[in-house]
Amino acid sequence: MEKRDKIIEIRWHGRGGQGAVTSAELLALAAIEEGKFAQAFPSFGPERRGAPVLVFNRVSDKTPIRARVSVINPDIVVILDPGLIYITDVTAGLKEGGVIVINTTKAVVDIKSEFNGSWKLAVVNATSIARDTIGVPIVNTTMLGALVKATDIIELESLAEPLKERFGARAKGNSDACHRAYKETEIAELSGVVKKPTKTFETETFPSWQELLPGSVIPEAGNAKQYRTGDWKSESPIWDHQKCIKCGICYLFCPEGCIGQNKDGYFEANPYYCKGCGICARECWTEAIKMVEEE
Amino acid sequence: MESLAIYVPRLVTIKEYFAPGHRACMGCGEALAVRLVCKALGRNIIIANATGCMEIVSSPLPSTSWEVPWIHTLFENTAAVASGIEAGIKILTRKGKYNNKTKVVAMAGDGGTADIGFQALSGALERGHDFIYICFDNEAYMNTGIQRSSSTPFGASTTTSPAGKVSIGQTTWKKDLPAIAVAHGIPYVATACHSYPFDLMNKINKAVEVNGPSYIHILSVCPTGWRLASDLTIRAGRLAVETGIFPIYEVEGDRYTLNLDFPKLRPIEDYFKLQGRFRHLSKETISQIQERVAAKYSKLKERAARNNYQQ
Ligand SMILES: Cc1ncc(C[n+]2csc(CCOP(=O)(O)OP(=O)(O)O)c2C)c(N)n1
Ligand code: SF4
Ligand code: SF4
Ligand SMILES: [Mg+2]
Repeated sequence: MEKRDKIIEIRWHGRGGQGAVTSAELLALAAIEEGKFAQAFPSFGPERRGAPVLVFNRVSDKTPIRARVSVINPDIVVILDPGLIYITDVTAGLKEGGVIVINTTKAVVDIKSEFNGSWKLAVVNATSIARDTIGVPIVNTTMLGALVKATDIIELESLAEPLKERFGARAKGNSDACHRAYKETEIAELSGVVKKPTKTFETETFPSWQELLPGSVIPEAGNAKQYRTGDWKSESPIWDHQKCIKCGICYLFCPEGCIGQNKDGYFEANPYYCKGCGICARECWTEAIKMVEEE
Repeated sequence: MESLAIYVPRLVTIKEYFAPGHRACMGCGEALAVRLVCKALGRNIIIANATGCMEIVSSPLPSTSWEVPWIHTLFENTAAVASGIEAGIKILTRKGKYNNKTKVVAMAGDGGTADIGFQALSGALERGHDFIYICFDNEAYMNTGIQRSSSTPFGASTTTSPAGKVSIGQTTWKKDLPAIAVAHGIPYVATACHSYPFDLMNKINKAVEVNGPSYIHILSVCPTGWRLASDLTIRAGRLAVETGIFPIYEVEGDRYTLNLDFPKLRPIEDYFKLQGRFRHLSKETISQIQERVAAKYSKLKERAARNNYQQ
């Protein structure tokens, strides 16, 4: 392959705990294995497991990489969790001719309309592949296979060593996942004019130190209430009023304190805060609560 | 479950002093424990909170989840800051400038308590300040990514006690912090877990009434660090208690009470098998731990029985 001068920039969109950091690191290691330059790093906030996270890669054939800042105008975006396209603008800043790689149960024709730009779209049902090959719905390594299929960023074989190094005995399942994704990824060319980003993916901005009060005093008690943690969830609790005995045990055990009683005395979760942990459903002794997948 | 015939809203205050919008992991037991503790503490308190997950997730400037006066402290000086606030209140009260009987509460994780803030804690207990110290024990330094502390249990895999070919994970036994607190001769020491919320809140209420130092040690399940599904947090806490790994008891002066006793403890495997951090343990190691758990539990039981006998 002809060597390129260009530095390819990738932005990964996942949720805390899905392993996007690992994917990016494996990709960088594989590229370095090929004699390329590469870097991988996450964007950190105080957010935790379940929260949307960003991870970045830069890869280049022969140009050393000096930049140490977040990727704003990626050549490629990889989306580990399909729900993220509804809560963040995953294509924000994506270059013309850029590539979108997404994990979804939908076929290309059904999801195409979500993206508007002259991009290449690669779709793969990574969750189902990961379940089959690794046994758990952790899609990070599966998505690497799809990424390699959709781009020529590295050779698939170069992932073998980094996978072995990282996963030891579990490398085979992860490598199988990669290969199956490589085979099953569907690719389409999109058309359309890239619109200005609607929502920014950078979740919030923090004040500079000059803007803080002396002693970093926060005068408004409990103002964290403005912050929506509801975006973190991939499942929501649904109450079956037939089975609910209105005991309130769900209310007691919710770590968010976001379950309240409605006017009929039934309990319900405030979707603005519910992170979808599933504790309420697990602890309800009449099994009145079910977790259902977020649309 | 403590009792089937309950109707929760009538039993606990509906008020929340630890507001939603905090950024703890989904299913975080420590966040639940803080929420329950705050419900029981009410409004008339001042909290000094060490660095750690609960401080980080609750106070990204300029926002806060706290609905009560709260100050972020270092690891080293949490109990010292609490002591200072308490002494300040005492002086102001004596001078007639304050009459609110505000309770001072220090909070820290297990790293902040068992390791880094240990001497400040010991000093504050020994000096007899009128305050409550609460340790939220998730058995490792979680905020920085699961490093072992002296409160990490034997055999647990963490990033600094990794299990592998030559290591079984943590090779030291969990430091017995409640016992150390008892050794200071303070009026009230208790253990609790968020999986038994009424017991937990009762103990906080009791500690508020104590005049002098109390120490409450709360096992707080961390699904992220324990490698556990987020919906199993409550169940894991319950199993820690039902297996005797984390007995729920209180010590008033020298009176021991086992608040939750079980005629027969469950095998510790029931607790271990839920969690990735113990997955590597061999049968031999498990039975070694089982023996130790049984011995410690029966010692505790004996102590509690001795009180009853003396009564
Ligand atoms: C003296 C000092 N050492 C290290 C750190 C970095 N640090 C911040 S939070 C944390 C982990 C705290 O662990 P723990 O007290 O158990 O609380 P948890 O996060 O587990 O709730 C560490 C090591 C620090 N802030 N100060
Ligand atoms: S799933 Fe249930 S317990 Fe978990 S955050 Fe949502 S309402 Fe609370
Ligand atoms: S790492 Fe553990 S203790 Fe910290 S916020 Fe997450 S679940 Fe809670
Ligand atoms: Mg800890």
